[in-house]
Amino acid sequence: MELSNLELLPGRTVVRHLGLVQGSTVRSKHAGKDLLAGFKNFVGGELKAYTELLNESRQEAIERMVQQAQAAGANAVINIRFSTSNIAAGAAEVMAYGTAVVVE
Amino acid sequence: MSYENPQLPHEVNVGREPVLLEFLQLTAGLAVVVVILSATLYFAGGQLARLIPFAQEQAWVGTRFVPGIDTDDSAQSPEASAIRDALQALSTRLSAQMALPPEMTLQLHYLDDDSPNAFASLGGHIAVTSGLYRRLDSENALAMVLAHEIAHIHARDPISGLGGSASMLVALTLLTGNAAHLSGAFATLVQRGYSRRAETAADSAAILALQKLYGHAGGGAAVFETFARYRNEHLGEAPSLLSTHPLDAERIARLQAAAADWDPQRQPLRPLLPAPAAAAIH
Amino acid sequence: MELLIQFGFFLALLIVGLVAGSAAERRHFRRLQQDEAALREILVFNERHLPQDRSFVHGTLVSGSVVIGEDYFKRIAASLKSIFGGRLTAYESLMDRGRREAIVRMKRQAQAQGATMVFNVRFETSSLSESVAGRQASFSAEFIAYGTAVIPAPA
Repeated sequence: MELSNLELLPGRTVVRHLGLVQGSTVRSKHAGKDLLAGFKNFVGGELKAYTELLNESRQEAIERMVQQAQAAGANAVINIRFSTSNIAAGAAEVMAYGTAVVVE
Repeated sequence: MSYENPQLPHEVNVGREPVLLEFLQLTAGLAVVVVILSATLYFAGGQLARLIPFAQEQAWVGTRFVPGIDTDDSAQSPEASAIRDALQALSTRLSAQMALPPEMTLQLHYLDDDSPNAFASLGGHIAVTSGLYRRLDSENALAMVLAHEIAHIHARDPISGLGGSASMLVALTLLTGNAAHLSGAFATLVQRGYSRRAETAADSAAILALQKLYGHAGGGAAVFETFARYRNEHLGEAPSLLSTHPLDAERIARLQAAAADWDPQRQPLRPLLPAPAAAAIH
Repeated sequence: MELLIQFGFFLALLIVGLVAGSAAERRHFRRLQQDEAALREILVFNERHLPQDRSFVHGTLVSGSVVIGEDYFKRIAASLKSIFGGRLTAYESLMDRGRREAIVRMKRQAQAQGATMVFNVRFETSSLSESVAGRQASFSAEFIAYGTAVIPAPA
């Protein structure tokens, strides 16, 4: 599965457009990491636990989007966009969406 | 170039774990964690509190009577004062037998309350209710009660209990931000009594003190028979849901075993003085 | 006693949330499936370029939005799960419902305009959680999907 956030895949031609596919997930870190991140917030800097959380979530969102694309018979997803929204303290939803296509 | 929208599997975006089952598992897991954590905290807080010198504890508590029973001993009737003095005298004799450190001074109180009860509190305060005094049939039984409470003070159980609940409250407040509504409910739970182990240890120390003072542990079982009888009569009135007192039957059996070599003919029980008949407070 | 009443109240809310919430969720998913089947001929893409080999008479912005709230069970289940960390399945289904409903409503608007395709579709999600005294009371979110619906030239 080839992924791109251009509206095309360089060097390839899109032959079929299979429409919108999306993947999303909601995750949270365990309370201990939330607590540590809360302490870290006093001094600022990178909150590693949350960086990790959102990276994992984004990875899973892409995987789910790819599953949809595969089921649609696509071999690439183009014009991918990410969006993240806050759900609760320490929990976030990450979504990825794009257009499933068949390229040659 | 073709444009189409094939059927998509939407279910990929929702995790497949059954939410209710997971919820029940997590609840059980959380309960276990909470129980272990609070037991650890309670124990650690209790051990830490034991490090406070008794003199310090007594200075903090002073004449304040911790469990919130507002009794001015000096305003009591002459009969009640006489009983209070008798309690104080008996506890002095007992503490000598129990090798209580000299700085652990005791303050005895006689409370006007119909339910049989006795308790030790912070700062060396010990209280006996008129309801208990009236139901006792010998000085030996009273000595059992007092020795048990003195043993709690000797073991620093009251301050340890306070330290334990205080540490849990602090943790609760830190966790929830504001535990005002929880802490009240929690405090009532914690104040229910000492651990079973502490009770059993106090019983053992009391039996030893009785044997030293009277040469036998006879008459001590009567105390727990009194409690058992009262509980039977008032069954359902105050369900002691979380009572940590060892079962009455168990304690009675233990005391009877300790008094197995007691000969009631050769070693008669001492009468309770002043007599319980005069035990009204006002 | 007071503690017992509080706990009973909590348990009752939890059961009501579980029963009513999951019934509503099942109903919603069923309706989504019907609506999605009915709107199959409206095609959606998030590309910006229109097909070169077709002609269109008109393009217009269409959007669909919906606000979905959690039930009491979801809320407790999710906050319990976040103690341990991991996937909050209770919220995942909520987000999925919201997003699919937004697409369905957008497609319906496109259909009403006589369009057959929607291009450059974008999603936006915003949390409407109300907070009471600094603590999040309940979670609800608005889901919006928007794009440009194109109306094909008559053949």
